[in-house]
Amino acid sequence: MPDDAPLTWEEVARTYGRKIYNFAYRLTGNAHDAADLTQEVLLRVRKGLAGYQPGSFEGWLWRITRNAFLDDVRRRTRKPTAALPDELDRLSSLASPAPDQVLAKVRLGEDIQAALLDLPYDFREAVVLCDIVGLSYDEISATVSAPIGTVRSRIHRGRKMLKERLQ
Amino acid sequence: MMHPSELLSALLDGELSERERTQVNEHLATCSACEDELNGLHFARAAVRSLPLLELPAGSRPAEEELGDVVHMTRRPPVWIAAAAAAILALFVGMATILAPPTTLEVRLDQLSDQYGARASLEPAMTPRTPMPVLERVAGPIE
Repeated sequence: MPDDAPLTWEEVARTYGRKIYNFAYRLTGNAHDAADLTQEVLLRVRKGLAGYQPGSFEGWLWRITRNAFLDDVRRRTRKPTAALPDELDRLSSLASPAPDQVLAKVRLGEDIQAALLDLPYDFREAVVLCDIVGLSYDEISATVSAPIGTVRSRIHRGRKMLKERLQ
Repeated sequence: MMHPSELLSALLDGELSERERTQVNEHLATCSACEDELNGLHFARAAVRSLPLLELPAGSRPAEEELGDVVHMTRRPPVWIAAAAAAILALFVGMATILAPPTTLEVRLDQLSDQYGARASLEPAMTPRTPMPVLERVAGPIE
């Protein structure tokens, strides 16, 4: 990814809003939570853009996204009456409408999503950043603040677990 | 070469150096176990990548008018919290109005200067030894 000048907030929202939503949705399986998170991330971007130092814009953006997601998870786990994201996800993902897809495809998509949700968080995050968001290992390493060897290992082990669940 | 296991995913992603890629490919040519593992990883990778890119639901982007007020945006508190906050604020304002000293020091000094100035004109012995600055400012005729 190129090191680039910051975009305007409108451009960020237009270019990345959908990706941020898909990142959140695939991590949680929950459309409502993913939409809330997308809004929260765009607000943080709006507040942070003025202070953005030219560098890896995507690295900066995905760190914000990840932090917002983890903050949200922490907030939920502090509330004893609130369901954990995974519990919410499983319930709501069953109701996710996909009217334009044939049943077999919906079933397959649900199976993949369920298999993703069964992965330990670190593995799921690495796989989603790689295969849904499309970041390079370097970019994932910067986003999750982990060495590139760790990223490689997480992606590999995540895929092995997925394969075992799906085959 | 030992079984390259973790390098197999990186191979699929084009994340190996030239040297690593050559070594892994040479190994794969002679190791059916690793080739099977590579096929399984390729399947899992393709499965995740086959998930549709979902549309961002309407309303997930903060509206322009909301962005003007970030506090309002983030997590809107329930109405009763806003009402309670307003009531507490009103209470504090009311108490401040009743209990607080006159609004500024300048006004008070002016009042004092009028008071002392007037008394000083009647009782010269009460004139402060060192004139208050504010008295200098109102050094005109004392009414």
